[in-house]
Formats: sequence, structure tokens, C-alpha cells
Amino acid sequence: MLKLMPQMRQTRSIATGGERKRDDPDESLGKFGTPGRYISAMSQAEIRNFCIVAHIDHGKSTLADRLIETTGTVEKRQMREQVLDTMDLERERGITIKLNAVRMKYRTLDGRDFILNLIDTPGHVDFTYEVSRSLAACEGAVLVVDATQGVQAQTLSNLFLAMDAGLEIIPVLNKIDLPGAEPERRAQEIMDLIGARREEILSVSAKEGTGVAELLEAIVARIPPPTGEPDAPLRALVFDSYYDRYRGGIPSIRVVDGEIRRGTMIVFGSHPEDEYEVDEVGYLQLGQQRAEVLRTGEVGYIVASLRNVRDCRVGDTVLDADHRNVPHLPGYREIHSLVFAGVYPTATDQYELLRDALEKLVMNDASLHYEPESSTALGFGFRCGFLGLLHMEIVQERLERESNLDLITTVPTVEYHVHLTDGSQMVVENPSNLPEPGRIARIDEPYVKARIMAPADYIGPIMALGQERRGVYLGMEYIDTTRVEFEWELPLGEILLDFYDRLKSLSRGYASLDYEMADYRTSSLVKLDMLINGDQVDAFSVIIHRDKSYAWGRKVAEKLKELIPRQLFQVVIQAAIGSKIIARETVSALRKDVLAKCYGGDVTRKRKLLEKQKEGKRRMKQVGSVEIPQEAFLAVLKVD
Amino acid sequence: MRIYIHVPFCARRCSYCDFAIAVRRHTPSAAYLQAIHTEWLLRKDLPRWREGGAIQSVYFGGGTPSRLATDALATILALLSSDHRLAPECEVTLEANPDDVTRDRASAWFHMGINRVSLGIQSFEPRVLEWMHRTHTPDQVAPAVETLRSTGFDNLSFDLIYGVPGSRARDWESDLDRALDLDPQHLSLYALTIESHTPLARWRARGEVVSAPQEDAAMQFLVANQRMVAAGFEHYEVSNAAKPGFRASHNSGYWKGDPFLGLGPSAHSSWQDRAVGDGAPYGGGKRHRAWNRREWEAYRLAVAQGRDPLEGVETLTAAETLLEDRYLGLRTDAGVPSRLIPAENWAAWEREGWAECTDERVRLTLEGWLRLDALVAQL
Repeated sequence: MLKLMPQMRQTRSIATGGERKRDDPDESLGKFGTPGRYISAMSQAEIRNFCIVAHIDHGKSTLADRLIETTGTVEKRQMREQVLDTMDLERERGITIKLNAVRMKYRTLDGRDFILNLIDTPGHVDFTYEVSRSLAACEGAVLVVDATQGVQAQTLSNLFLAMDAGLEIIPVLNKIDLPGAEPERRAQEIMDLIGARREEILSVSAKEGTGVAELLEAIVARIPPPTGEPDAPLRALVFDSYYDRYRGGIPSIRVVDGEIRRGTMIVFGSHPEDEYEVDEVGYLQLGQQRAEVLRTGEVGYIVASLRNVRDCRVGDTVLDADHRNVPHLPGYREIHSLVFAGVYPTATDQYELLRDALEKLVMNDASLHYEPESSTALGFGFRCGFLGLLHMEIVQERLERESNLDLITTVPTVEYHVHLTDGSQMVVENPSNLPEPGRIARIDEPYVKARIMAPADYIGPIMALGQERRGVYLGMEYIDTTRVEFEWELPLGEILLDFYDRLKSLSRGYASLDYEMADYRTSSLVKLDMLINGDQVDAFSVIIHRDKSYAWGRKVAEKLKELIPRQLFQVVIQAAIGSKIIARETVSALRKDVLAKCYGGDVTRKRKLLEKQKEGKRRMKQVGSVEIPQEAFLAVLKVD
Repeated sequence: MRIYIHVPFCARRCSYCDFAIAVRRHTPSAAYLQAIHTEWLLRKDLPRWREGGAIQSVYFGGGTPSRLATDALATILALLSSDHRLAPECEVTLEANPDDVTRDRASAWFHMGINRVSLGIQSFEPRVLEWMHRTHTPDQVAPAVETLRSTGFDNLSFDLIYGVPGSRARDWESDLDRALDLDPQHLSLYALTIESHTPLARWRARGEVVSAPQEDAAMQFLVANQRMVAAGFEHYEVSNAAKPGFRASHNSGYWKGDPFLGLGPSAHSSWQDRAVGDGAPYGGGKRHRAWNRREWEAYRLAVAQGRDPLEGVETLTAAETLLEDRYLGLRTDAGVPSRLIPAENWAAWEREGWAECTDERVRLTLEGWLRLDALVAQL
């Protein structure tokens, strides 16, 4: 699953300028750009807002770099040295700031000046909603397709989002310099896909810089300028936000109507009762460049003493406090978690640290939800809600890395709708909270609609995988003679664990996956518990389809037998559905655990081994009288 | 004080051996003597040894000390006794391979003051010995014992190894009987441990050897105890049993926390400050450890160049000292003072039949000894 990692937030990081003295206006004049006053004076007709839609590794970042370089926004030398240096600095301080929009100044071949705002979009399936908000801030999208690999599932879903948003699409074939490039075949794919004409498709090599000038011209010529009413009351779309530890939540906005400047009193559409005074507006270049005003069609940031990113959620509308009753921009929605898991510190004395780390993290990640929970096996921890598996892994990794924690994550689960015999309904996202089977009338589970794209060679294995995961096959289409696109409906719970890994490995890395929530359907689900010497270990409980429960229980029991070391007493491992035992394994008691000889140097060696053994015991979880190593909790995540 | 002298040379490496040894066809006795002499000069006047009282025991361990030239051994003993007082009852042990015992050597050993020989017998089964890479054959054992006895040795110890992987069919009871028939004063029984970096570990990694099941080793341990006790032995430490009056003085020193000076490559030394009152369980001062470089050549070179061959030194914390005292004390039939073990622990051990406790002492039973590591790790 970790392999998905780089797809998250394909952003480059730059300094926040967070430590800059706030009352020094001279500092706000860009070091490399032009004073904000000049740029802001440009009219709406000379603005182009666009994003780049691309699959990971298809060259989005390189192309963005090339655009920034070619427009002279940041010189090549500065990009290398400045951008990278600042990144390292940020990394050392333990925070990463996203460059979520960059403003470029561009003079066309015929001598006209334009402002180009390149708005970044998160690149992964977990962040579809956020992608849609970024797209809503643009009028155009550059579709980048790798001339060697063609369109991938992820590109496709973002492309469809862009088309739905009514953006002007500029298709670009990248990596045309590579020996494996098949520009004509890929161009045909694009033409079929979006109905483009061949001459509309540009060819570039972001690496070499070829074709970039033509692309810039096309951006100006083909993407329409922002519409919007400069004289209407302020409406601005929040399309991203991050947390600066000195200045609080900082939303990135696209001004749709009116203007915003320092001193403007604003409210957010989702909580219009809270007023904020804008302390600063500006735009992003290399760092934040303070500006006097952001006008209709412009893209930038605002600082307004927002305590955290929850105050400035993606998709929300920024309004003038004096005109807060104007219609909000469409599309805002509360973010719901799809995947839930318990997160526990390995050492119980790290609970407070974990709580502080989560508090810190949600400042920067409005999509993470958590609440305290306790487990008999794992002690005190938190139930966390994530947008998806990737999000979950990112959160765990950030918690561990940034706060130096050692964590155990329980088996991720989805949100089940449980209908009780008394007619009531409850939502269960922790298997431990599932009522007695006798009280349950039925359980509904979430389904997703999944799109899988892969070379036709792997149709068989992918069909088999879909079946195995209780998928409903909707259809398959040939994208060209060698590649197919599948549509499946799959229970979300079935793709939580290793679906993507399996898909990747059975297709030698060629298949790509994308999914979106579909609906809830009734399934034959049971709760499966693991008992260790008769004690139920809640961290191992899962809600699982009845047909799969036996195999799962057997495998987990076998795995635990492998991982639980022999102890002073026999350890009985059982899998149970309700009171019915479906699998049993035994770890026999220790019969001999003593060093044969102990003289001279052995004494020191033995002491060190015992100390290590004691240290190891501290890292184990005690359930009743049984010590369970941490790996056992992780192993359950890898049962196939 | 006690002195351990490590003689690293072997004709070949035994399959289970991870000791600091140097495989040499011809033992470089002269170079070895010179190195030990130099190290002794470096150490002997340190206050901790000068004031350590008479030498209670000397132990030549290996490697294969029986392959060292007898005059080198004699010179080392002479050096020790000329610079330091040997206690009148001083136990002087030599580890010997049965095939190294000749009449001349035995006589030389006896006359230079060695009064205890520990014979590395390991097994009486040819296939097992071969598999272990031992240099001797079973029929060399009885003559070696006879030679030592007739020379005047009345304190012989035998080493035997049990818990050998099951693919080597072996009759452990018959091995025990054959050892007891030779009427030793002392027996050391070692469960085979597959240490990393041994030929055995490589065999196991290749799947050619599977460790003996814990149950088998435990059974063999219990059987051995029965036989030895029936033959009049006291099983006085996890791996050691002796006829009354023949407990190994030197090794007992390790379990009691006595100070010892180690000479030779990889040898460890241990001593304790006189100071009282820093929390050490016996009211002693801080305990220290030092150890020499492991490789013979590195050790020899350091000494030859006038450098200290020490590789490391450490001072134990109170917790580390306590851990050692518990672990070592519980290995012996004397056990440890009850105050070293929390009452709820020893009470639970007693319930399971792993310990016998009085107000004063906690002693492990045979079943307790089998689980010693896990019990100590509980504390």
C-alpha cells in the first residue's frame, strides 16, 4: 500500500515565509517577482487559471517546473538552490508547506502580458473531492499523457472531473523524447477520449524543454479568462489550505466575485456566524508574496487569524461579512471518513504524546477525524477516520516520523449500517461495537464503483481478483487494441487491505485503480473474534463476509501461532464467530529456556541478552497472562 | 582472586563452537607465553588485583589448553605464584581433549601444580563426535582417564553435550552411563545451543540441521539429573554436578560474583569496588567488567606493541548488578536471598513447582532451571 504514497499531493514545497516579520511591508515586495501592486492592476481578461491533470510519473512536476522557469517566475538557478534549500530547511523544522498555486507572469510572442495561475491538484483517489475543488478554481486544464504509457485510470477520473467542471482541456503528450514513445497511438487514444482533433494535441518534452513555449501560447489562447463580477459582493472559493504554526490556518482562494484586501471583514459560508478580519492577502511564487488586494479571477492566499484548517475548509466560500447572505459557491460538502482504524501507541506511556501529535496534525489536515477509544488489548488510543487507505498510511507515517511515536494500527474497517430487530439503525465502524447477532436484522456495507485500467494480457487475473473480492462486474471496454478498462462494483471493505498491491503485482505494475463511493448494500456479514487463552482480543476482531470468515480465522490463527513466542504457559489461539469456534492453534509452553553454560564472558553476554529480552517484553502487549508481540498486530493486516 | 587464562588454539573448529579460538596445526606456545607474560605484567600491580587476596583458583580454558607446550603452562603458573600468593587449597584446572592426554603431559601437568582436569568428552558415540568435528574417538577416553588417574589426578571433570539434533540418532542415557562408569568427580552437561557464526548455524540455515525440540532437551536434562543423583552427585548448578567436596571452585566463583582476572584473547575480568552503600544488593561497591580483544593476532599484536589489549570496559549499574546476581544465583542450588525476588513472583513460581522458597532463600527446582531465562525476564 505504501507504494501509493508519492501520489498524494503532488506538490512542491516552499517556504511559508511564516517567520517573516508581519509588519514590514517592504518584505512583501517579491524578491524575484514584481511588487504586488503592479500585478494586481492587471485586468481580469489577462488572467488564466489552470491546472495540470496527469498520472504520477507522467511528468507533472517537471512540466510545472519548466513553466515556472520559462516564464522567468523563478530562475533556474534559484529554483534549484532556493527551492530545494528551503525545502530542506522546512523538513528539518518538521513541517512541510505545500506550494498549492503558483503565479507566473507571461509575455506572449506578440507582446501581451498575462498572469498565469497554475493550481495544483492532489493526485490520489482518496482526495477526489479536493481535486474537484481545485478544478473549480480553474478555467482550463493541461492534460499530460506520457507518450510511452498512455492514459491511466487516475488521469481519467481527474480528466472526467475537469470535463464535468467545464474546463478547457489542452492535451499534451509528454516524454516524446523517450525511445519508447508512441505519440501517434497515444494521440489517437486522447482523440477518442476527449474528442480532440489531432492538431489540438501538443507534444512536449518537459525534461528537454521542447514544446513548452507552444504550450504557454496555447494556455493564453485557448483557456478563457475568468468570468465573475468585479463589482459584486465578495465570493471566493477555498480550494486548499494549510496550517502555519505562527499564523494559523491559511486558505488558498480563488476570488470569484468582488475583491478581498487587508482589513476586509470576512465570514465562511459553512459557519457564517464567525467573523474574521483579513490581516494579509497575497499570492504564491517563491514563498508568499504579499499583495494589496486580490481581485475577481485572481488566485492567492489570505491570513486572517484562523485558528486551524478546520476554520477554512476546502470547498467553502469566503464572503464579505457585510454581504454574507449572497448565494454560496456550489459544491461544498463536509468530508466524511471512509476508512476507520484504531491507532495506539506501542508504549502506553506515549498516549499523551499521540494525542498531542494528532491535535497538531488535524490543524493541517481537516480530513482527519479522531476520537479517544480504548481497547482491552491495546490500552488507550484513538479511533481515526480517514479518506482512504493511503490517507491512513500517510497519517500513521507522519505521526511516527514527526512526533517520533511507535504506533500500532488495528485492522482498518469501513462504516457499516446495522439495522436492528427493533427497527432502529446504528452506524458501526469498530467491530467491537457490533451488537449481539440476535439483535441484528441486517447489515449494510458500503460499495464503491471502481475503474481498473490494464493491459489486455491481464484480463484473466483481474477478473479473478474481482470475483474473489465479491465484486459485481459491470463491464469492460477496450481503450485501444492492447488496453482495457474494467468497471466493477466492489465492497469497500474488500479493497481496504491489499487489493491495490495484488492488482499491481498480478499486472506487473501496469494496472491502475480508481474508485468512488457508490452506495450501501445488504451483505451476509459476521463479526469474527480472536481469542487468546479464552480472552477476546478486540484489536483482532473484524467484520467479514460469512463465506470468507472461516478461511480468514484459520489464517489469522496460523499467523498468530507463528508470531507469538513460546511462553511459560501454553497459549491457545482461537477464531470464533459468536460462541462458535472455527479455528484453533496452540503455542506450547516453554520447556527449556536457559543458557547451557555461564562462565566468565558468558556472564556479561547473558546479562545483555536478558536486558534485550526485557526490552522486547516491554514492547509486547500483555493480554491476560500472554505477551503478544507488536508484529502480530501488523500481521493481521497482511493476511491474504 | 581468581584467574582465568584463555588458550585459544585448536586443531580445528568444532561445529557448535563460537568461542574465540585460533585454528593452528602447531600451537605457537612460545609466542603465547610471551603475550600472557606481558599482559600479566600489565595487570598484576593494579590495586584491584594486588589487593585481591590470595589466588583461589586458576583455570586454563580454551580453545585447547592441553595442546599448549607443558613448559609454557608451567612457566605461566610459576609467574603467577612468584608474583602473587597462591592459596594453599588453590584449584588449578586444565581443560583437555582426551586425545591430548599422554603419560608425559599428564605427569608434567601434575607436577607443575595442576590439580583438576576437565575432559572434553561430549559423547561416546562416534557418529556424534564426528558430526561435532571433535578430534578424538570414544575409545580414547578410558585410556586418557586411566593415564590421568595413575599420574595422581583425583579430581576429574567430564563435559558432555546433550540436546543434539534428532537426525543424529543418539542414546543419551548410554552416554551418561558410560561417563558415570568412569567414575568422575564432576560432570558438566551442556545443552547444545546453535550460536550464530558457527558451522552448525550455517548447516541449519541451509536446512541440513533442525534444532532439537525443546521437549527433547528438557527430557534429557531431567534424565541426566536422575542418573547423576542416583550415582551420588549433587546437581549444584544448572549445568554442573559433583560428588560431595568436588564442586568446581573456580566456576562457583563466577556465580557468586567473585572478582576474577582474565588473561589472553577474549578473556573477561570482573571486580567490585570496596565502597559500600550505592544500592548493590550485597552492599558491595560498583561492579566492573573488562574484556580483551577477541582475535589472537590482534591481541598478540597489541601486547607486543606495548598497548593494552583491552577491547572494552564497563561499569554495571545497580539494576545490571541486580540482574546478574539474580540470574547467576538462581543457577545454583543455593539460590538467592529472598529479598532479591519480589514475593508475588516467587510465590507464583512456587505454585507452579518452579521454585522452593524459605524466608531466607529462593531456590529453583529442576523445572525452574529449565525456564530460568523466562523467569528472570519476568522480574
